[in-house]
Amino acid sequence: MSAPVEAQDASKWYGEVLGLNGFSASFGSGITGLVGPNGAGKSTLFKCLIGQLRVDQGSLRLLGEDPWNNVDLKRRLGYCPESNQLYGWLTAETFVEALLRLNGVKPPDARKAARESLETVGLTAAKDRKLRTFSRGMRQRAKLAQALAHGPEVLILDEPLSGADPVARVQILDTIARFAHDGGHVLMSTHVLYEVERLTKNIVLIHNGKSIASGDVQAIRALIDAHPHAVRIATPAPRDVAQALAGLDHVASIEFPTPAEVLVRTRKPDAFYRDLPGIVLDRGLDVRGLESPDDSLEAVFRYLVG
Amino acid sequence: MDVLLSVRQAGVVFFLTLRYLLTTRRGIATALLGGLPFLLAVALAIGRVGTFDILLFQTLMVPLFLQVVLVFVTLVLATALIREEIEDTTIHYLLTRPVSKPAIALYKYAGYFVAMLVLLVPPLCLAYVVTQGYARDPLGADLDVLAAFLATTVLGGAAYGALFTFLSVLLRRPLPAGLLFGFVWESIVGSIPGDVPKLSIIHYLKSILKDIVGVGPLSSYPTDISAGVAAAVLLVFTAVALVLALVVFQQSEFKQKA
Repeated sequence: MSAPVEAQDASKWYGEVLGLNGFSASFGSGITGLVGPNGAGKSTLFKCLIGQLRVDQGSLRLLGEDPWNNVDLKRRLGYCPESNQLYGWLTAETFVEALLRLNGVKPPDARKAARESLETVGLTAAKDRKLRTFSRGMRQRAKLAQALAHGPEVLILDEPLSGADPVARVQILDTIARFAHDGGHVLMSTHVLYEVERLTKNIVLIHNGKSIASGDVQAIRALIDAHPHAVRIATPAPRDVAQALAGLDHVASIEFPTPAEVLVRTRKPDAFYRDLPGIVLDRGLDVRGLESPDDSLEAVFRYLVG
Repeated sequence: MDVLLSVRQAGVVFFLTLRYLLTTRRGIATALLGGLPFLLAVALAIGRVGTFDILLFQTLMVPLFLQVVLVFVTLVLATALIREEIEDTTIHYLLTRPVSKPAIALYKYAGYFVAMLVLLVPPLCLAYVVTQGYARDPLGADLDVLAAFLATTVLGGAAYGALFTFLSVLLRRPLPAGLLFGFVWESIVGSIPGDVPKLSIIHYLKSILKDIVGVGPLSSYPTDISAGVAAAVLLVFTAVALVLALVVFQQSEFKQKA
């Protein structure tokens, strides 16, 4: 069985600007995170997948079909756009119900399904409110509700967490996770990197319209083994900590970014994390906190694109 | 093709469009504009203008209603159908449903057409009633005048709407082109000799008025086209403009806003 999304050298031009530049990737089942900075081509890719843009070169397939002007394919997909614009003059329930009816669902069933979908995203209490009165987080959930309501096979979510408050984020993430658990495929883009990692290990990194890395987060992390891994240690005695760690052969450099911190760069993060507790106990070091600014996709991405 | 499904989908888009055009702030603004003929008739009656009769009604309605209100209302409504949804990025909600793009455009146009009639027909009828009442003429005495203006409203609304819908899918900024056509070209074309006036919508609307109304300000309008032929031309024009709009929309791509 082919992957839900298959792209082979897909390119898309906007005049002289390249939105997608020979993009090749295969997005497997479950949840795949598409990560890249603004202008990387994420939204262009999504618009091609939902059939609103046509690739100029190469091929792009969603569930084995060409999405361009493919009316039947749209029954199988749910799309959550990045923009927060909605039909503000409609209530949440009317909005979802109307779109369900466009999917061919009969009115009584559409109303029921709309209510269920709104309940899934935690908007039952607000279902009779006009969408223009919704907060950003509520709008995100309303968008997700309309994408889910007709039971699609694939969810394509463009920045679904953007602007969402903490409560909305949790609800959105839970909803996405449940959808994938029930057998659905999800392709989502986001800048909230740690939340992508919370949801999935399948990541595709995109930059300048190209896929620059894909696979398991840890596998991608392994690609940057040549680049020292940074660890920030909070301590009132930074020089003592630095002295203790300087002897390790895999420590590449030590800095003091603040009077109460040590920044260590190590070529072998696994060994570092394994050895550190012992060193701290043996030397009686006062370590108040440990953080790795590198242990995130953002750092992986920065390393890969230079 | 599932006809029942298409009908249901048409109903959804039609009523969504109608509701948007009539119940939002846009609808209120265009309703006020559409009500100008009625407001003018009331003003003339209140001002006890001595010569206010069906002839003055026609003299005022041709420039005011036909050449300003009709054009402006159809331009505002038709450009909101698709272009505004594209700019607002709400079009994605419709385009990611199992409905073809031409079908969406057609259903929206149907919603526009009914909205246009709702906004323009009642004030026109009421203006006629006020005119006849003030002039103490029976309501049925000049029904040919009312019928002629209603016919031009229907046919002009359809034609202008189709043209502006086509402009709105073709151009990123349809309003300037629409204003140029509606208020510049349509105004000056009648002054150009020869067959050039036939390249306007207003020429055929005036031809209808001249043919149906026995005595009026357009009695000397330079046209030999009958109302039937003028109506046919406008219907063909509407159909062609709509088909062009559907074809262009089918091939349109919707890129991310900068």
